[in-house]
Amino acid sequence: MSTTTRRPAGQSGKGAAGKAMPAATAGRNATAKSRQGQRWLAWIFLAPTILGMGLFTLIPIVASVVLAFFRWDIISAPTFVGFDNFSEVVQDPTVRVSFLNTILFVVVAVALQLGLALALAIMVQEKMPSWLRVFFRSAFFFPLILSAASVSIFMRYLFNEQFGVVNWFLSLVGIPAVPWLTTPGGSAAVVILVYVWQNFGFSFLLFIGGLASIPVETYEAAAIDGATGWRKHLHVTLPLLSPTTLVASVMAIISALQVFDQPYVLTRGGPGDSTRTAVMVIFESAFQRLEFGQASAIGVLLTLIIMAITAAQFRLSKRFVFYQ
Amino acid sequence: MTGATNGHLREITRRTALGALGAGIIGATVASWPRLSGTDIPGRGDNSLSIAIMGTAADAAARQRAIDAFTRLHPEIKVKVQAIQAVDWKDFFTKILTMVAAGTPPDVVYVATEGAQLFAEKLAHPLDEYVRRDAADMAEFFDDVHPSLVEAFMYKGSLYQLPMDWNAANMYYNTTAFAQAGLERPADDWTHVDFRNSLAAMRKARTSDFTPYYWTNRLFGGVVPWLYANDTSFLKETRSAGGEWLWDGFYANDPSRGLRSGGYQWLEPNANDDRVFESFDYLRGLVKDGLGVRPEEGGGSSLVGLFASNRIGTTPAGGYWVQGLHEAGMGESDFDVQFFPRWKTQRHQFGTAGYAIMKTAKDKDAAWEWIKFSSSREAMELIFPNPITTPARRSMVNEQLYAGKGPAHWKVFYDTLDRFPTSGPIPAPPQQAAVETALMKNVSLAVSGDERQLKQALASMQRDLELALRRQS
Amino acid sequence: MTTTTDHGLAGHSPRLSEGLPETASNRRRFNWNFAFRIVLLLLAAALTLGPVLWTLSTSLRSPSESFKLPPSFIPWNPDFTSYGEVFQQLNIFLLVLNSALVTGLIAVGQMVSAALAGYAFAHLKFRGRGALFSIVLATMMVPVQVTIVPVFMLIRGMGLSDTLLALILPAIPTAFGTFLMRQYFMGLPAELAEAASIDGASPWRTFRSVYAPLAMPGMAIVGILAFNFHWNEFFRPLILTISEQNFTLPLGLVSLQGNLGTGSISVVLAGVVLSMIPALVVFMFGQRALQDGLTAGTGK
Repeated sequence: MSTTTRRPAGQSGKGAAGKAMPAATAGRNATAKSRQGQRWLAWIFLAPTILGMGLFTLIPIVASVVLAFFRWDIISAPTFVGFDNFSEVVQDPTVRVSFLNTILFVVVAVALQLGLALALAIMVQEKMPSWLRVFFRSAFFFPLILSAASVSIFMRYLFNEQFGVVNWFLSLVGIPAVPWLTTPGGSAAVVILVYVWQNFGFSFLLFIGGLASIPVETYEAAAIDGATGWRKHLHVTLPLLSPTTLVASVMAIISALQVFDQPYVLTRGGPGDSTRTAVMVIFESAFQRLEFGQASAIGVLLTLIIMAITAAQFRLSKRFVFYQ
Repeated sequence: MTGATNGHLREITRRTALGALGAGIIGATVASWPRLSGTDIPGRGDNSLSIAIMGTAADAAARQRAIDAFTRLHPEIKVKVQAIQAVDWKDFFTKILTMVAAGTPPDVVYVATEGAQLFAEKLAHPLDEYVRRDAADMAEFFDDVHPSLVEAFMYKGSLYQLPMDWNAANMYYNTTAFAQAGLERPADDWTHVDFRNSLAAMRKARTSDFTPYYWTNRLFGGVVPWLYANDTSFLKETRSAGGEWLWDGFYANDPSRGLRSGGYQWLEPNANDDRVFESFDYLRGLVKDGLGVRPEEGGGSSLVGLFASNRIGTTPAGGYWVQGLHEAGMGESDFDVQFFPRWKTQRHQFGTAGYAIMKTAKDKDAAWEWIKFSSSREAMELIFPNPITTPARRSMVNEQLYAGKGPAHWKVFYDTLDRFPTSGPIPAPPQQAAVETALMKNVSLAVSGDERQLKQALASMQRDLELALRRQS
Repeated sequence: MTTTTDHGLAGHSPRLSEGLPETASNRRRFNWNFAFRIVLLLLAAALTLGPVLWTLSTSLRSPSESFKLPPSFIPWNPDFTSYGEVFQQLNIFLLVLNSALVTGLIAVGQMVSAALAGYAFAHLKFRGRGALFSIVLATMMVPVQVTIVPVFMLIRGMGLSDTLLALILPAIPTAFGTFLMRQYFMGLPAELAEAASIDGASPWRTFRSVYAPLAMPGMAIVGILAFNFHWNEFFRPLILTISEQNFTLPLGLVSLQGNLGTGSISVVLAGVVLSMIPALVVFMFGQRALQDGLTAGTGK
């Protein structure tokens, strides 16, 4: 992420040329003192954040790793079991399926979310009356302010097989009732659709911001070269947006990997294991079965996967992201 | 010059504003400290007897009259009822386990059959000594309560709960839909074939916006009634020895005395049984032919509304449905209830609930006094004024309870136990959460595909159940 | 709360509300292109807002009418019985109070701690700055579900089980907020600091009189984002609160679905609509700030 700071026009950035020598020496002494001062101040300023993170994130991460080697139900004392939790977890069909589901969910949901957001952002930024543009932007942004739990609640009714509004609309164009929430494919589709419906606005806004920062001259130059319409976007917009796309995809992937609310409220992970996600399995083994060791083992595996994916993204981005 | 002073002034007002804002935030925090630390919750951290029930604050308030009556009887015992909201029983037990984990367990918990063995195995204190001690009071209670309900709370020869309310899976039907299809009230001993024919008739009479058979995929009202009627279950059912102290002491003259044991045991999976396949295949046929819906997971919160708006022909439910249908605007003759259809047997499935004393309870004697009082006729009438469930006492399932609400054949509710004494509780071993998950997640697959998918789903259920039963809790 | 309008984030282009430049060609072929685009966008907007409108109109029908097909999106004869029912079944005021306390204190805590930390990372030189910042960013990748068990035990150790404080304290340190504030402070002209240090101002003075007064817009964004996220949060309250008295809105709503699914659809949806109201207010007033905040992550 490159940040450029724009200097306000008419300021040279150097200190006023009037004060020559004395100020300079004073400046040097001050600098040494100010370094010391800066260090102190920095630690004081960082204290709340760093202490808080240490207590509520870093220590728990370490504790999770330790806990993954124990069997513990909180009611009785923990017993050390070595790698048993990991071997059980890796062999557990439900855990396996849930990890696969999560990967599949991330791929499909993120692709949909980014594609939709990009297409809409480009269309909204093209010429139109500005009140209309403000309306569209607000509309696409709106689902973001709702809670995933309440969205999932009303979506359950909308997707009801017999009496849902969605199937009623489909019946108008002659499509027979789709068993949305009662078949593996259907419920996976609902979870993805509901998730994307709620979250595409986030990526949409990122793209709007990215589009706004593309200099006008670039398009003018491209127009002179004869790139117009969709070709203009292919050759100018997409390459220039790539930093935005990277950020949008990293954020979308991290959040999609942690999806819980939607499948929990919509389907409870069913039918079968079709919409069970990795974090749901953690929740179920910890708080429905009190298998805290196993839950931690699953959590450790999931964290490793997330870190690997994110690292891979940044590695790839070095090749494909085009900075101005 | 003026610019400088202006700036200075602005600086001062800004600082004052910020200071005021900061002071306001700190003030608000201090003022709401009791709310933030939870110390404003009545009875928190004192030594009163804490009772956890599933439900809302309104349900807790509904018990207030019973608490007042109890306090008149035992002024020395302070009681607080904590209502815990949950989507289903499994969810409720999750919350209780979380409380145990958080170091703030309640003293007494209202537990349904789904969790009876989980509590008996890990968390609850047996009632045997108390029941023996207060045999005189108890005799009156047991005389009024069917032994099947009591047996559901026996575990390895000890009694852990007294049944307070219960529900069997009977069959509700929409009288309008039956009449439209030219159907009479079904006979008491109707069979699964009769049932299917009734559904087909209703389907013919109403082709759109209507489902002849609707069911949710929970342990209760899901697939288990069909397994019981076909004399099978998804777990192998055995009984443990013991319990004679109770049966000989209180049910010596009961005609079904010979059936009674030290409690149910479910130690092995049974999803690969041929009759399990047969029951599932029957349900799969209903779904395939458009006579029934695919079961949903995660509760069927739309069910009451759908039934009350005449979009459903039949659905399995117990007496707990009456009040809900009444509130949704159904007249007393708009629906009725009948025994579950017969197959190989007419064994019904039921669920029951009652209070369990936690091992960690500070004052177990006080806890028992609460349980004993709650089982009295007086207390039960205070707690169950409406048909939101079926009271465990036979004498309370009467004309008065269902007056003006229906159904016409409310007698079916308690007759289920008297006519079919082999009726059994929902299969729920101590590993209930894992077992329930293993069952539910495979049911929808089993009944909503072809025969191959059904076989796969049952194989996967068998495997999941094996894993579930091997778990420690 | 002031929202940012003129004073955007680092390098924020003021062109947000203008579109892409038009070229000669689309001026000529305006009609078809333009019409097609608007129709597509209108369709997308309908799909986005439709479910919400349906929810609103269904909540205003009596329970027996709730499954009416064809669906109506405009409540012609509103029936408010379901709303009364929600107030009977849920202590909405308490839920809103809890949600407000939790989100308000988290937002204030995040604003202050993130502003301080963000400033340190942006303008103060100390050893290990880069490494420490990387660690802070890395914590964003750890799902809350992974650390919830140890956090739960910590909360128990502090004696805060089943309290609102259990929801507030762990949420105050914020990686994303710190990152945003660092971006924001880096976006302020560096000359300010240079000038201050040449005048011999101490680092504290530089912060207090030069940067702190300018920090408000950035802090507002952090606050509004925190509000939006934690107002809607479901998972942590699900685990960390047990008593109904400590529920936040989303939990209360899910419980409206009733024990064993006996809830009525109109009542559930009425609850959903009620819970949207505060979010809507924030949407009206903080929309611009939210949008800026969300787009701030893209360094330009």
